[in-house]
Amino acid sequence: MNTAEPKLDTLQAVELAEGVEIRLRMAGPMLRMAAYLIDCVIKFVGMMVVFIVLMLAGMAVGDRVMWGMMALVAFFAEWFYPMVFEVGKRGATPGKRMVGLRVVQVTGSPLTLGQAFVRNILRWVDALPLMVWPTYGVGMVSCLATRRFQRLGDLAAGTVVIYDRQPLLPVLIAPPPITAVPLPVGLTSDETRTLVLFRERAGLWSAGRRQEIGEQAECLSGARGAEGVSRLMAMAHWVQEKKQGTLKR
Amino acid sequence: MTLGDFEARNRERWAEYERLLEKLEKGGKVARAADASSLPRRFRELCIDLSLAEFRMYGERMSAKLNELVIRGYEILYRQRRVGLDRVVRFLAVGFPAAVRREWRLFWLCSAVFWLPFFVVMLSAGHDIQWVQSILGADGMAGMDSMYGGREQQIEHLRDQYGANFMMFGHYIHNNVGIDLRTFAGGLAAGVGTLFYLLFNGIYLGAAAGYVNEACDPESFWTFVSGHSSYELLGMVVSGMAGMRLGLALLNPGRLPRVRALTEAAKSALPLIYGAMLLTTLAAVVEAFWSARFLPSGLKYGVGIAGWMLHVAYFLLAGRRVGDAA
Repeated sequence: MNTAEPKLDTLQAVELAEGVEIRLRMAGPMLRMAAYLIDCVIKFVGMMVVFIVLMLAGMAVGDRVMWGMMALVAFFAEWFYPMVFEVGKRGATPGKRMVGLRVVQVTGSPLTLGQAFVRNILRWVDALPLMVWPTYGVGMVSCLATRRFQRLGDLAAGTVVIYDRQPLLPVLIAPPPITAVPLPVGLTSDETRTLVLFRERAGLWSAGRRQEIGEQAECLSGARGAEGVSRLMAMAHWVQEKKQGTLKR
Repeated sequence: MTLGDFEARNRERWAEYERLLEKLEKGGKVARAADASSLPRRFRELCIDLSLAEFRMYGERMSAKLNELVIRGYEILYRQRRVGLDRVVRFLAVGFPAAVRREWRLFWLCSAVFWLPFFVVMLSAGHDIQWVQSILGADGMAGMDSMYGGREQQIEHLRDQYGANFMMFGHYIHNNVGIDLRTFAGGLAAGVGTLFYLLFNGIYLGAAAGYVNEACDPESFWTFVSGHSSYELLGMVVSGMAGMRLGLALLNPGRLPRVRALTEAAKSALPLIYGAMLLTTLAAVVEAFWSARFLPSGLKYGVGIAGWMLHVAYFLLAGRRVGDAA
């Protein structure tokens, strides 16, 4: 959880009580903005419908009762619309659901009522500065300054916004290497994963691109160009196929 | 064991697990019919599968698939239970008053930030009314004149139309509870937002009271506000306490990192802001349905004083034995 070094992707590993690590893919500010705009439209349409219904009902029960109801509806829509949905089963407002996001605790488990309350009341601060319409300037700066793209409300509530269903990476394995080369040095699990991922995705790239990417790991392969790539492939092959042979059995 | 073996051996079990998840995610009748009691076991098996796949480097496809299955199970297993009535009762009887007592320093701080400017501005009207006039402005003074200008109980007349009380109730909720929530959120700016709202309300309400004392009919004003004053003003002070809890966590995080201190402070501010919203909602009920009634002044003052006494007793005594020990 405590990775100080910069990461290659937006995956965050979280260890569960069951002793296994799950990886959550954090959602960035642009996608969340899209979800917010969809929510604004939904809220606007919903309010319009409610107001029209109230207006018609107002003929029966009197104008003033209707105005009181409208004030109450506006109050709940303004402060509690996201909260009601986020403590629900989906953990997401309709807008977030449409773009495939959900809100969870930093530990990956579903939100508590208190957390949903805090992150959505403090939304008011994240929405500043107000220029006719909330600009979310504060929230944006906070998102970009934190490792998990958290706005201030998220930080205070201990929540993150993640992809609900993680899009699968396209994978196309290059022809298997003939040799297997043991790793010259020990690698962290994140680094090993990257190496294996390189092998799995190598089929998607042209030979030139493969070499270009492979040269980023020159200190590991000890060679440039086609030679470096084939050595990386052989190491990935060793990690995937041979290493477990030596460890198991 | 190769990737193919691993997949072939477990495919059937994963599919069963996924079917169970789909049923439980749907909820309702489908979920009740499902064999939910097998979920913990199946979930643990999937956790082991994921660990194995990661350790043996079976590759991205396998890891991603198992990762998603584990996350979906985790979310169902660890879903929060609904807030029961017992927790609400416990909050009212113990949690809220105990939280206010625990933060007694913040209570006096926020009270001072509100009440000192209130009395200074109100009393200044007796010496020099220009201060108060410039705070209220022309519109503010016109508003006070129209509501409390003469002896003929103008508010009561305004409320004569059918439904007017309910209209004002909606307005008070929208406006006053909204201010509570902003006061709380303003604490995130190192407490500056919270202090601003408390100070502003102290000055403005002080100016209104001072202006009425000098230029309007004080009795119509004080009989109107007395009934809901205790709920409303204490609600504001308590929401200020919640905001200052956040602000102080940023200013003085102690031995915790700032973000962590903020998270902890938000947790301990929750009972305060819940309680503040409750008090302000009660204030709206009283203000809408009681305060504007035409009744003898003595009765209305009596109800106002009784409200304050009740609050003092509630915050000093309620849940003392159970709450402060915890």
